[in-house]
Amino acid sequence: MNFGREKISAAERSSYAIGFVILIMFFCLAGLIRLQLFEHKRLYKMSQDNRLRVLPILPKRGLIYDREGRVIVDNRPSYTISVIPVEEVKYRTLPQLSTLIGFDTSRIRSRIKSNTVSRYQPAAVKRDVPFETIAILEEQYNRFPGVSYQMERVRDYLDRLGVEAFTGYVGEISEAELKASGAEDLRPGNVVGKRGLERQYDRLLRGTEGTSHIEVSASGQIIGEYKDELPKQPTPGADLWLTIDIDLQKACVAAMDTFCCGGVIAMDPRNGEVLAMVSFPSYDPNIFSGVIPESLWQAISTDSTHPLLNRPLRGLYPPASPAKLVTLGAGLEEGIVTAHTTFKACIGGYQFGNRFFRCWKAGGHGKTQAVQSLERSCDVYYYQLGAELGIDKLSYYYGLSGFGSRVGIDLPGEYKGLNPNTDYYDSTFGKGRWSRGLVLNLAIGQGELLVNLFQTVQFYCGVVNGGKVYRPHLVKIIYHPDQAPETVTPELSFKLPFSESTINILKEGIRLVVEGEDGTARHLKNPNYSIGGKTGTAENPHGENHSWFIGVAPFESPEIVVVAIIENSGHGSEIAAPMVGKIIESFMKKRDGNKELILADESESKGEDE
Amino acid sequence: MILNYKELDWQLIVATLLLSFIGVAMIMSAQHFADSTFKQTYYIRQLIWLAIALAVFAAVIHFPFRMYDIGSYLLYGFALLLLVLVLFVGYSRMGSFRWLSIGPMNFAPSDLAKLALIFVLARYFAYTKLPPASKRRLAFSAVIMMLPVLLILKQPDLGTALVFPVILFAMWYWSGLSPFYLLLILSPLVSIIAASHWIAWAIYLGLLFVFLFVYRPGLIFGILIFTANLATGSIMPLMWNRLAEYQKLRILTFLDPGTDPRGAGYQIIQSKIAIGSGGIWGKGFLGGSQARLDFLPERHTDFVFSVLGEEFGLWGSIIVIGLFAFIFIKAIRIAAKCRSKFASNIVIGATTLLLFQFLVNVGMTLGFMPVTGLPLPFLSYGGTSLVLAWSLIGLIVAAGYRWQEY
Repeated sequence: MNFGREKISAAERSSYAIGFVILIMFFCLAGLIRLQLFEHKRLYKMSQDNRLRVLPILPKRGLIYDREGRVIVDNRPSYTISVIPVEEVKYRTLPQLSTLIGFDTSRIRSRIKSNTVSRYQPAAVKRDVPFETIAILEEQYNRFPGVSYQMERVRDYLDRLGVEAFTGYVGEISEAELKASGAEDLRPGNVVGKRGLERQYDRLLRGTEGTSHIEVSASGQIIGEYKDELPKQPTPGADLWLTIDIDLQKACVAAMDTFCCGGVIAMDPRNGEVLAMVSFPSYDPNIFSGVIPESLWQAISTDSTHPLLNRPLRGLYPPASPAKLVTLGAGLEEGIVTAHTTFKACIGGYQFGNRFFRCWKAGGHGKTQAVQSLERSCDVYYYQLGAELGIDKLSYYYGLSGFGSRVGIDLPGEYKGLNPNTDYYDSTFGKGRWSRGLVLNLAIGQGELLVNLFQTVQFYCGVVNGGKVYRPHLVKIIYHPDQAPETVTPELSFKLPFSESTINILKEGIRLVVEGEDGTARHLKNPNYSIGGKTGTAENPHGENHSWFIGVAPFESPEIVVVAIIENSGHGSEIAAPMVGKIIESFMKKRDGNKELILADESESKGEDE
Repeated sequence: MILNYKELDWQLIVATLLLSFIGVAMIMSAQHFADSTFKQTYYIRQLIWLAIALAVFAAVIHFPFRMYDIGSYLLYGFALLLLVLVLFVGYSRMGSFRWLSIGPMNFAPSDLAKLALIFVLARYFAYTKLPPASKRRLAFSAVIMMLPVLLILKQPDLGTALVFPVILFAMWYWSGLSPFYLLLILSPLVSIIAASHWIAWAIYLGLLFVFLFVYRPGLIFGILIFTANLATGSIMPLMWNRLAEYQKLRILTFLDPGTDPRGAGYQIIQSKIAIGSGGIWGKGFLGGSQARLDFLPERHTDFVFSVLGEEFGLWGSIIVIGLFAFIFIKAIRIAAKCRSKFASNIVIGATTLLLFQFLVNVGMTLGFMPVTGLPLPFLSYGGTSLVLAWSLIGLIVAAGYRWQEY
């Protein structure tokens, strides 16, 4: 070829062009010969006897562990029976399958319809099928044209420990969820988190699907992998280590055992780690792993004790006496009272206008100062303080203390409760058409005020932690499949609107509730460790009162704050306080046991050194 | 205008007709077992389109060539206008605005722009007095090519835009630019490949520098070429990030079909199985199981060659490739024979367009070209594609008929 810079001749030019065309044609011919001569046998076999199928390889869903690495949510292998829509034989596949798995044909039809990704991919019909069924299918696969089965992992939750309060559960993605998610990697029939952590961390737990090419015979039997394409391996989901301590969780469940309904949260005030979380009555999250039978769903969803209501997260209660700390704090901050201020003596109630507001103690408390008012939980003290503060001041302090707004825990669906102010009353009852006496109820945490358990526990954590409130959270470490573990750092949520001296007075009050001679929970006092706390009895117009208790231990440097509410059970000091006492006892035992172990370890190793 | 019909290049016409009828047969076979009668009758619609295409062909060969010469810039301007228009009122599919609706028809202005580019370049190279390697000539023709390309990239439609530089390149070659310059102009492409490793790139750039220093193609030209090499090698990785997701996917899929097994990779695998399973003799008309079992997507349009390979095997494929080769070689002979430079350039432009589409489409079905969605001329289902291909053949036949005219 002429590489000179001068023009090439016209004759040369067209022969090069023709040469180029011939070259291209031979190039194509070479490609044809490669496929049609050299690879013909293999490709012919593949097209004639076999079908190439794209199968998703499901990733392993991430496991959930407690803070010490004990498994809370595991995966167990199970079988799923599916139908490949394109291979279904009319009037044969469905009736046969119906006798095998006990679903009627219309149900199978609707299952196939909702789980179809492509006509060539299996659509899950029944999950968690016993092995005997699979054995029949395997033996007589000719009877079931288009039916196949897959190994799948099914979630396995620790049973009877109330873990579903935070783990939630998984289920098949619904059409609405599929639309709403917008995620490209989700397809009909996929299993996703429906509630709790399973839902909150679904993206992390789920992992990424892989794909493989499978050759399948004309009758639907898998022959093997398509050799030319290496399967794309799935990326497993991340494992979560929670802040939960399963021992403590167990202790909470044991302590709650004799009661019908309620909730418990244990939290570390120093960092917002949730150590235990229980909602009673509980249910078994494992029932959602397969397809939940209609009758069971009916039973659980219409149960009058509402097992599906997550009490700690979505149960809203009047805070009752535990809210007195806010009222007192507001009074101190606003300069309405000092530590030594006394109001009119308590004579078992307080006359406000034409109404007599009762104290819980019919005999009365006499005159009390700030700290004693908490110790004895004297309502009359707070009626008078509340009247001086007024609704909006009080509501302002409730708000700054975190009541009436979501705590922002890493769980979906938290209810925020209600922190009423004058605007609220004006819009509800009409402007000025409500009694000034409402503020008296608010001052003792009754009336329209509604809070959730997390707001209560985080407030007490803040009080015993010098005013700093850490955001409650459940995940401690995220073990990503291919990255370094990610440790969740505690997040300072907000600071209580109280000065140090106010906080010290509130703390002293909490201490005296247990340690003081007149403390409402003085029976919890014990020689081994110091406890602080606050009892509460929430008036319930629909039945027995709800019993509250918040316990703090060890009081000098608190490591745990436990809040408990027992619905319709009576006085806080009689019901909830002893229960929380048991939980704290178990916590302290374990903690001191560990300390002893560590001390023993240290002395041993020292001995070796010497 | 009355033509002496005996003087027409009947060999060329018959070869093209044969390809078109093979196309109709393949379209029929591809959708013969489809579940809707609409799909089953694709081939009838293709026959109607063929009639229209032949009418257009007849009109083109009767049209005086001089009129193309006069109207070329007008057509070019019109095509640019439509390309701008399509960005605003275009009918969008999969996020790119490529079609204008005229009544019930969707028409892609980029098809018109291809024709217009061929006309304008043919005219410019036919009359310019500048020597082939003159900078002004190279630059002006490059600008003419770039204007529609930029508008088409805005749609965005990378596959279609690729045709334009290829046409320009062929025209440069045909109007006398020596292989020396052509290779230099192509060198930035090599730079992209060499840039995958910095040592290779450094060696390549060093060699290029020495080459330019020894052969001295002109200072400015040399600097331009070197900068272009430097720029493409270093900017390409950045450009990559600006491609649309589906474009990245297609290129990645081409490099490694396993990355997108459900999409484009799946099509290539199925196409290869279809062609390979045909063997030497094929499975016979309507006998292709790949196509029948719905495994092969787009089998009546982009993958019609796979249906041919499966049903008629190697011999059928060789006949089709042979017919194409015959048409292309005939066309180049006509281009060489034409006394009018303009007509000669037109023929080369038309041939390049057909050849490029042929190579990209067949290459895709055989698995060595990326999935671009370019149809196979004359065979693939689609009215506009068929009419465009036949009007190109019309231009070639008309130029051959009037080869003595200046």
